[in-house]
Amino acid sequence: MTGVTWPRWLIWAVRIVVLVLFFSAWEWAARAGHLAPVLFGRPSGIAEFLYQEIFVTGSLLVDFGYTIVATVLAFTSGSVAGILIGMLFVTRPNLEAVFGPIVLALNSMPRIALVPLFLIWFGLGIGSKVAIGFSLTFFIVLTNTVAGGRGVNPDHITIAETLGASRGQIFYKFTLPSAVPVIFNGLRLGLVFSLLGVIGGEIIASEHGLGGTLELMAASFNTDGVLGIIILLALVGVLITWGMTAIEARLLKWR
Amino acid sequence: MATHPLATDVDGAAAAGRPRPAVTGPAAHGAGSILIDRVSIEFDAARLLVVDDVSLEIKAGEFVSIVGPSGCGKTTLLNLAAGLLPAEVARGTMLVGGKPPRKGNRDIAYMLARDALSPWRTALGNAELGAEIRGVPAGERRTHARELLDRVGLKGFEDTYPKALSQGMRQRVALARTFALDSPILLMDEPFGALDAQTKLQLEDVLLGLWQQQKRTVVFITHDLSEAVSMSDRVVVMSPRPARIIADIDIPLERPRSVRALQKDPLFHRIYAEVWARLEEGLTA
Ligand SMILES: Nc1ncnc2c1ncn2[C@@H]1O[C@H](COP(=O)(O)OP(=O)(O)OP(=O)(O)O)[C@@H](O)[C@H]1O
Ligand SMILES: [Mg+2]
Repeated sequence: MTGVTWPRWLIWAVRIVVLVLFFSAWEWAARAGHLAPVLFGRPSGIAEFLYQEIFVTGSLLVDFGYTIVATVLAFTSGSVAGILIGMLFVTRPNLEAVFGPIVLALNSMPRIALVPLFLIWFGLGIGSKVAIGFSLTFFIVLTNTVAGGRGVNPDHITIAETLGASRGQIFYKFTLPSAVPVIFNGLRLGLVFSLLGVIGGEIIASEHGLGGTLELMAASFNTDGVLGIIILLALVGVLITWGMTAIEARLLKWR
Repeated sequence: MATHPLATDVDGAAAAGRPRPAVTGPAAHGAGSILIDRVSIEFDAARLLVVDDVSLEIKAGEFVSIVGPSGCGKTTLLNLAAGLLPAEVARGTMLVGGKPPRKGNRDIAYMLARDALSPWRTALGNAELGAEIRGVPAGERRTHARELLDRVGLKGFEDTYPKALSQGMRQRVALARTFALDSPILLMDEPFGALDAQTKLQLEDVLLGLWQQQKRTVVFITHDLSEAVSMSDRVVVMSPRPARIIADIDIPLERPRSVRALQKDPLFHRIYAEVWARLEEGLTA
């Protein structure tokens, strides 16, 4: 097996040709009546919708802002809490023995079933969406932090102990750095799940946000609108992943 | 960790932290020496006697190799000296630099068969790790670490991460990390066991060079009898588990030595054959 041999420009060119072909075929099928636009939409209709709502009325931008702010809040609070509690578990095994099973039970609750409760507690606005995103991200990051903290090389501990390292030194110089790659996987996943939680919450009940608009479009059979928002969300997902990869590449250049 | 109960066997002085009365003569148990007197190690949980009544005296500045079959208890003995074992498992007296063993003893630098480098630190960062943990100021330890990387032949690789180093180079970094400590006693557990013959010869000479210059005490565990004979002042042969000493042989080769040159030296081969014979004798007895 060999690796990638094509140059970058060729890969991009082929990628674009494939996408253009796909959308052209779709457009043609919709116009020729092979695909019902009410069910499957039309690329030109989707483009039209996105252009209108982003550049003319700007209403999609406002929704986008609500969704992103909620996602960022859910992600940062969830991951900070996840890392802190995770590290507490790693350094205090007794705590983990007591609370580990409780955390597992909490994490096993289907989060969607909790949404009505979050809506009662935090209202229709951004608060309930942040809560849902948090409840997903927190456990993912917590689990990864604990796994990463466990994964420290026993030889490192032997060396550290013969050197007379204190508990704090062992933590900062060995446990933490060796856990970072695993924590990063958790963060990457946590970000995706923050977005998922926020959108899910918005679909169920909201005043603003992409999820709410999506639900509205679907209810009025505006398939172009639904697909437009889904494409927008996919783009956000790709951007998030790229961003995380770039940060990881800088932070973990030793890998 | 609490003071080692082994200390109580030595008139309680060391346990109480009082300076021990000076001992004169060849058995002076001062800095750099190791005294092992009738030490047995038994892992209670496994009901396994690993080291059986071993007595051994290593003087400051001596290079002593320990050879013995796999699983006989060599690493366990080193771990005891480094204070890594729980006190309950050992009986008898052990004094390291005149004091009972304890974790984090600054008199000791420990080197393992696996390099145990931190992959997130550069070669320089790894070389200075020990001194960093022991609180040596940054400027000083960095200069020292650079010098040692140079000595082990890694000049120009200071900023390289371990993933980009070969196994031999990584073990060189580990050697630099060990020598960057100012500890008078070096405990080395098969440090070159995983290397190819050429790299091994090279690193043996690097180690001998550093040792001849600094005259620290080295306890060197190996499976390789030729390595043991060529580097050591004494070779201690252990029996299969439970480890007992079946031979303690002086190596009358001149210093300074070069391991590479010794390969062609008939005297070396004669001594090697003698030690080999003693070893076989001991194992069959
Ligand atoms: N913490 C422990 N608890 C129980 N048994 C142990 C423990 N540590 C080591 N042993 C046992 O002690 C014996 C000696 O182990 P040790 O690592 O000292 O051997 P060794 O001589 O260093 O072998 P090798 O040459 O293969 O490295 C082995 O049988 C091992 O299973
Ligand atoms: Mg061993």
